[in-house]
Amino acid sequence: MATTVGAPGTPRRYFHSLWLLSARDLKVRYSTSALGYLWSVLDPLVMSAIYWFVFTQVFSRSVGEQPYIIFLITALLPWVWFNASVGDFTRAFKKDARLVRSTAIPRSIWVNRIVLSKGVEFLYSLPVLAIFVVANILIESDPAKTAHVGWGILLFPLAVLLQTVLLVGLGLLIAPLCALYTDLERTTALILRALFYATPIIYSVNDLPGVFQTLGMLNPLAGIFSLYRMAFFPDQWHPELVAVSSVMTVAILALGTWMFRTLERPVLKEL
Amino acid sequence: MESAIDVADLGVRFRRNRGGRRTVKDLFAGASRRSRPGEFWALRDVTFTVEPGESIGVVGRNGQGKSTLLRLVASVLLPDEGTVRVNGGVAPLIELTGGFVGDLTVRENVRLTAGLHGMSKAEVAARYDEMIAFAELEDFQDTPYKHLSNGMKVRLAFSVVSQLDEPILLVDEVLAVGDKAFRDKCYKRIDELLTEGRTLFFVSHSERDLRRFCRRGLYLDKGRLVMDGPIGEVLDRYNADHNAH
Repeated sequence: MATTVGAPGTPRRYFHSLWLLSARDLKVRYSTSALGYLWSVLDPLVMSAIYWFVFTQVFSRSVGEQPYIIFLITALLPWVWFNASVGDFTRAFKKDARLVRSTAIPRSIWVNRIVLSKGVEFLYSLPVLAIFVVANILIESDPAKTAHVGWGILLFPLAVLLQTVLLVGLGLLIAPLCALYTDLERTTALILRALFYATPIIYSVNDLPGVFQTLGMLNPLAGIFSLYRMAFFPDQWHPELVAVSSVMTVAILALGTWMFRTLERPVLKEL
Repeated sequence: MESAIDVADLGVRFRRNRGGRRTVKDLFAGASRRSRPGEFWALRDVTFTVEPGESIGVVGRNGQGKSTLLRLVASVLLPDEGTVRVNGGVAPLIELTGGFVGDLTVRENVRLTAGLHGMSKAEVAARYDEMIAFAELEDFQDTPYKHLSNGMKVRLAFSVVSQLDEPILLVDEVLAVGDKAFRDKCYKRIDELLTEGRTLFFVSHSERDLRRFCRRGLYLDKGRLVMDGPIGEVLDRYNADHNAH
C-alpha cells in the first residue's frame, strides 16, 4: 500500500515504529518537566560528586587513575544508561500494556525502544564529560593530574555498540520474565545495586586482587567500560578483557533471543 | 482471488485463575494438544475463511471468545494451535484509546498513533486536518491528551484509526461509547469504508448494528464455532439458544 511506511514485517517499518516510540519516550521526558535535559545528567553528576568526595577527600584513594573525577564520569555515564534501561525492562510490557494489546508491531520493539531512548539520553549527556575534561585541562597545573585525550577515543563507538548489543540481549531476557513473574522486578533492582559495586566503575579491573580479577572479567560491563576509558586512560587497555566481554555479550544476546521467542506467547496472554 | 483472512484449527488456551501457580516447567512445555489442569481453551478448532470485501459479525455471549478471536486476527495475541493468516494490513478499532499518551498533546498523539499503524509522516500531515475535523477537536489540538473528556478521547481515536488505508477493519464494541450524533457519524464512516470494498470484522452485542453492517455471521459458544452463515440466520439461532436458557 502506497500510504504505509513499508509493509508490516519489513525492516523499514520496524525502524519506523521503533523510532516513533523512542521519540515519544524522549518527548514525554523532556516536555513534562521544566528541568528536562538536566535530569538526564544530574544523576551521574551527583553520583560522581559523591564518589569523588568520598574517595579523594575522605579516604586516600588507592584505586582508579588520575584525574579521578574524569575516571569516574567516563564509566558513570554509561552506567546510568545501563541502569536506567534495565530498570525499565522490568516494566517494558506493563507500562504500555494497552498499546501492546492493540497494536500489532513486532514485540521486540518494546525492549529496543528502551535501549534506544536511554541511549540517546546517554549521548545527550556526553557534553558533561567534555566540559569536565576541558575544565580539567584549563585549571589543572600538575601534568600528572591532567587528562590527555589519546587514540583510545576511537574505541568509543565500539563501546557504545557492545553496550547496545548487551542491553538488547538483557532486555529480551528480562522483560518477558518480569512480565510473568512480578517478584523478579524487585530482584532485578537488587541485582542492579550489587552490580554497581561489582563492576569497575569506582575502580578499575586492574585494582581487583587475584581471583576476583578473573571473576570480574566475566562481567561484560568490565570490558565495555574499559573501552570507554581508553580515551583518557591508555593503561586500561586489556585485550583479553574486551574479548571475554564481547563473547559474553553475544552469548547473552543469543540467550535473550531464545527466551523472548519462548515467552512471547504467554506474555501476550498475561497482559 | 486470495482470501482476506484464513483461520485454520485455531486454538488458544488461558489460565483459569491469575493467581494459579506457574512453574518454570509450564513455560517451556510449549503448545501441546493436552489441556493442563487450571487451564481452559478460550477458542478451539475454529476454522473459517473471509473473502475480501466481506463483512462479518461475530455473535456470542460474554466470555465465549469473541474478543479473543479479534485479538488473534489482529495478531496481538498468538495462537497455541492452528494458524491465522491475514492478507494485507489491519486497522484495529480495539482498545481504541490504548496508544495515546496523556502527557502529549492531541497533535503529537495523532502523529504517534497514525505512525505506529504505518502511516508515513507526509501521509499523516496530509490527513491531519481531516482527522481533527472528524473528531471535532479543532480547538483542542495543543491540549494535553489527559485533559480531554472521555468522549473526546474516543472520538479522536476512532477518527485516527478509521483513516488508515488498511484493507481489513476490525471493530470491537467501540461504537457503544460516544453520544448519538458521533455514533451516527461513525456508522456513516464504516458504511463508506464498506462501500470502498474493505473487509469488516465486527464484534458487537447490538443486534441492530450487526444486521446493519454484516452479511455473514459467526456464532461462538464456549470457544467453539457453532455456526457460520448469513447474519440473519445466525442471529435467529443465537436468540433461540439464548432465550431457551
